[in-house]
Amino acid sequence: MIYVHQIAAVSPQRDLLVETIDEVNESVNNILKVVEPPYEGIPLSILRRMGKAVRMGVGAALPLIKNTTVPLNGIVIGTANGGMEDCIKFLNQVIEFEEGTLTPTNFVQSTPNAIAAQLSLLSSNKGYNITHVNRGLAFENALLDVWMLLKENPSHTYLLGGVEEISSYNYNIDHLANWFKDEEVSNKKLYHSTSKGTLSGEGAAMFIVNNDPQDAIAKIDALHLMHAEDVSEVKSQLIHFLNKHLGKGELVDVFLSGESGDIRFVSFFQNCEHHMKDSTIARFKHLTGDFATVSALSLNIACQVVNKNILPDHLIKINRHKHSVNTVLIYNLHKGVQHSFMLVRK
Amino acid sequence: MSRIVVTGIGVITALGDSAAANRAALKDGQCGISFLELFPSRYSETLRFGEVKISNEQLKQKFDITDKGVTRTSLLAIHAFEEAIEDSGLTKEQLASYDTALIGANTVGGMCLTDELYHDANNDTEGSEYISSYDIGSVNLYMQKRYNIKGIGNTINTACSSSANAIMYGARLIQHGLAQRAIVGGADSLAKFTINGFNSLHILSPEICRPFDIDRQGLNLGEGAAFLVLEKEEEVISKKPYVVLSGYCNASDAFHPSSLSDEGDGPYLAMQGAVQFAGLNTSDIDFVNAHGTGTVNNDEVESKAMSRLFETVPAFSSTKSNTGHTLGASGAVEAVYSILSLKHQELYPSLQFETAIESTGLKPLQEYIQQPVQHVMSNSFGFGGNCSSLIFSRA
Repeated sequence: MIYVHQIAAVSPQRDLLVETIDEVNESVNNILKVVEPPYEGIPLSILRRMGKAVRMGVGAALPLIKNTTVPLNGIVIGTANGGMEDCIKFLNQVIEFEEGTLTPTNFVQSTPNAIAAQLSLLSSNKGYNITHVNRGLAFENALLDVWMLLKENPSHTYLLGGVEEISSYNYNIDHLANWFKDEEVSNKKLYHSTSKGTLSGEGAAMFIVNNDPQDAIAKIDALHLMHAEDVSEVKSQLIHFLNKHLGKGELVDVFLSGESGDIRFVSFFQNCEHHMKDSTIARFKHLTGDFATVSALSLNIACQVVNKNILPDHLIKINRHKHSVNTVLIYNLHKGVQHSFMLVRK
Repeated sequence: MSRIVVTGIGVITALGDSAAANRAALKDGQCGISFLELFPSRYSETLRFGEVKISNEQLKQKFDITDKGVTRTSLLAIHAFEEAIEDSGLTKEQLASYDTALIGANTVGGMCLTDELYHDANNDTEGSEYISSYDIGSVNLYMQKRYNIKGIGNTINTACSSSANAIMYGARLIQHGLAQRAIVGGADSLAKFTINGFNSLHILSPEICRPFDIDRQGLNLGEGAAFLVLEKEEEVISKKPYVVLSGYCNASDAFHPSSLSDEGDGPYLAMQGAVQFAGLNTSDIDFVNAHGTGTVNNDEVESKAMSRLFETVPAFSSTKSNTGHTLGASGAVEAVYSILSLKHQELYPSLQFETAIESTGLKPLQEYIQQPVQHVMSNSFGFGGNCSSLIFSRA
């Protein structure tokens, strides 16, 4: 069990819990790019050199670190690719200058651990520092790491986060690999789409977490991650997860599904939904697009939903609304094989 | 807490393609660093590297791999993984059970294919066979599929300390009951990306590297992979474990994106934390397998941090003078070397050393010796200030 005390996100929406569909920012050419904040608090000279992933991650996290009244014991980040733009910029130099004399800035910025490293530097944090990069379960492993850290050190407080950027390069690569739609589909009509592929997205979500229930926004009660290609296996894991973590007679109020508009994977979500007969079924990827650490953004949404007891209509697929939302179960799926469940409570 | 033991090891580097071959070369003081024979680069004949002299075709043939899109990083990883599994005697059923975790680490992933990635990323192709193999996670994902591993899978990137952190993470999963056994380690292959990256930082040595020498001029990049099988001691009574993983710690230097602080706070905190975790005194450490890259910055800072921590600095050496710096693999490669030292009660020398750094006066071990060894520390420090230390002890 982990208590969440502060949350922040840089996402394609000004606020991830947008009230009405009219206020939802629309995708352009199948891409949902982040709305970047002014990044106050990052020295301009440093900000200028930051790639987008580092900028989003540091920009979302620094204000939280500054607001935290207890000392921070470590920084745990999940990102599949880190600074992809810098990475390919450096690669382009390598090829175009035939391995000639190159400048190191892009190289240093491109390593996935640059986000956690910059955060430790800017906050002078000499504690635990790590970056998990296991593609669609990078953020879940970061969360699992923090869960273990808080069992090992019950009085500690950690920064947990997930970050991913879109660059034209990783869009090209993932598009060539058939992960994005060929025809243009608006995010507002994402779930009506019957073709293969999804929309590309990006973002950063940061959380200050510890074991202290006092004044917490939400608590993360359970996590399960798995590698599976079979629908029935995911369903049996879901049943096992619910039996293990729900009290007798207890129900999940909202099942927050990572449905992505990709016809090839609809059956995974349908099977889980069929089992969640008493829960309101909600979706979030029309707000975020899809990317490896999008589950970090879904966790931000779930924390807000239980904290504010609001579930905007445009998120709802099937309404079995009860008077209040106390439990949210997030199910995410990345590229057909990496699955996760996260149980969030008030 | 249960004791976590190592029940299997596997390693491939420029020194050899098994733990036995690596040990023989270390005992002999062999250096695997040379000009490039297999990997084409502008620097093939001017800079030296720890290249594994086995081609991708040979590696694929050895493991009967016909799948498309399998990169050299994955092939090296599979080589070390298979050796470790066989060594530990893990069955196919054990690999596929929900309580077997696979924790990998690397820094280049499929970016060893720099030219293919260039064309795919810039959208001037129909997509090469490697389109889904560039990211760091691709290595682990391929292995999970190939060996039908259903337990927790993860990949860690903390630059040059990546696989030391993979070892820590696996041990912690077992301690928390999230896995019964963990196969942990890392891999990296030579890539134009890293060669030119390190070259642009002016830390590649024009000669064979000379860790801890006053005239050291930088590092040689290497490639390789290593995996360890970690299990709970009480659950493997029928096996004869190599060693106990008795301590570990991760700390941040919080100083600079690509160099260590003068006083080496990160390295100091990592080493100190590992000693404390193991419940040892610093005087209990018999030997340190140092990070010792051969760069001006690392070796001086690491020496200072060791002098700060130890009243008398124990015998130490850097096997990067044998293998080159294998980046994301180095933490696991050097963990295997530390384990071999403990198993065989022997210490391997540092090569190319002549004169100590003036400010520290520390000299690495320069000859192979046999002596009682109880506790060995292995250091890994990465860009971004990511410092980790591991301690292995006699079982």
